[in-house]
Amino acid sequence: MSARMGHENVVIGSLAQIGRCGLFLLRILSAIPRSMRHVTETVRQLWFVGGMSLTIIMTSGLFVGMVLGLQLYHVLAIFGGTSATGSVVALSVYRELGPVVTALLFAGRAGTSITAEIGLMRATDQIAAMEMMAVDPIAYVAVPRFLAGIIAMPLLCCVFCGLSIFGGHLVAVDWLGVDNGTFWSNMTATVDVWDDVINGLIWKSLVFGAVISLIAVFQGYTTAPTSEGVAYATTRTVVASSIAILALDFVLTAFLM
Amino acid sequence: MIDTVQAQPDNDALVRIRGLTTVLNGKVVFDKLDLDIPRGKVTAIMGPSGTGKTTLLKHITGQMRGDAGQVLVEGRNVAEMPRDALFELRERIGYLFQNSALLTDFDVFENVAFPLRQHTRLPEVLIRNIVLTKLQAVGLRGAASLMPSELSGGMARRVALARAIVFDPMLILYDEPFVGLDPIALNQVLKLIRTLNETLGITSVLVAHELEAIKQVADVVYLIANGKVVAQGDPKTIAESGSPWTSQFFGGEADGPVPFQYPAGDYAEALGFKQGVA
Repeated sequence: MSARMGHENVVIGSLAQIGRCGLFLLRILSAIPRSMRHVTETVRQLWFVGGMSLTIIMTSGLFVGMVLGLQLYHVLAIFGGTSATGSVVALSVYRELGPVVTALLFAGRAGTSITAEIGLMRATDQIAAMEMMAVDPIAYVAVPRFLAGIIAMPLLCCVFCGLSIFGGHLVAVDWLGVDNGTFWSNMTATVDVWDDVINGLIWKSLVFGAVISLIAVFQGYTTAPTSEGVAYATTRTVVASSIAILALDFVLTAFLM
Repeated sequence: MIDTVQAQPDNDALVRIRGLTTVLNGKVVFDKLDLDIPRGKVTAIMGPSGTGKTTLLKHITGQMRGDAGQVLVEGRNVAEMPRDALFELRERIGYLFQNSALLTDFDVFENVAFPLRQHTRLPEVLIRNIVLTKLQAVGLRGAASLMPSELSGGMARRVALARAIVFDPMLILYDEPFVGLDPIALNQVLKLIRTLNETLGITSVLVAHELEAIKQVADVVYLIANGKVVAQGDPKTIAESGSPWTSQFFGGEADGPVPFQYPAGDYAEALGFKQGVA
């Protein structure tokens, strides 16, 4: 009986949290016009969440592409289809691995940093100080980070995909001897700009960017103003973002295919 | 039964608090509190720790709302103000936070310049002159390029003070402004508060425990305990009033109307010594 009530409380608590997050999104959207005067802050945040995530995105993209090239070459060799390595690497990266892995890395690198920063700002009364200086913290703190996340994610995803294809080319062509012309021609013949790049990469990464930024900003803004509260909020950002990314990936794939 | 004093109505009060009742986590913080902050004077709010002095400042600025009663600033009820009007009011209020609350991404100069940059379109040279003037007043013009992490607690407090006065507001609320200041800085800050009050007519509210400092700077003192004003008057009179509240508070006695111990069970029992057991 008590275990059932515990489960019900968890469900109700989770639904309430999603509801609060939805209301917070409305506050962010309504504050966007007011935040237009803080464009420089948005650009600064774009550097922090996007520019400073480049190293991990580029490194991961390169190795993901190299692993894909290696695995696919050996599997396709069984059927005598190693010439399709370039196509399969590109399709895998554009449709799934690019947006999903970039989003997971982005949540771990930028999402946690946004949550911790805003959480500490709350714990040290910086948010309250802004309110006392008649500066709307939603417009000055939350919106620039939210917008920066949305803008940065597709750009990072493009970088990830580019490096993945380069990694796949490095392994398949330069190391394992697949013909360079075949690698590129098969890829360009099978990859469709609308279906694979726009729908698969851009739309997904835009949605993932919005979801991660919203969760990160919301968790930071509503954290308990203690060290423990900030630690919990940071963890919740990674967990909630990862689950949301994987669940939304299925939904988006089903709708966009 | 709490022996309290009736607040003397002040017709020229900038802040008027009437019947303020606030309950936080089941604890009555204010119990029909009446209090006036006279315009153009320095008012000190004193009282034991946890009595709600900072909470009172939050009521005045609209950061918190009471369960009953009114907080009127310039005749307008803060709790009923729409957000835009509240923000307009806050532009005219300076607030010194207990923990300074400096923006950690910005250096000292930018912290002090922050309100000017957000609410005005002044030329850069004018912003620079205003900021340097305020920093000079708190003795930290030379620290303009330091980051908040490079400041001591007392220096951070003085930067926060410079930020609070950068707009020459009509009302400044100081939450524990003297904590962490060395005697030199303390004296200068006292002079600054007095100067702001005398030259610009700025109304000041101080929350502090340092009686000697309060005697030098305050015109009016309110002593708050158990959710009510238990003594009020000028610092000298209140310190010498001889009421049980003032005697205990200013004498630092453990015994008196304000309990030193947080409510707890029997001490001997908590230590494992029960009555009748050898």
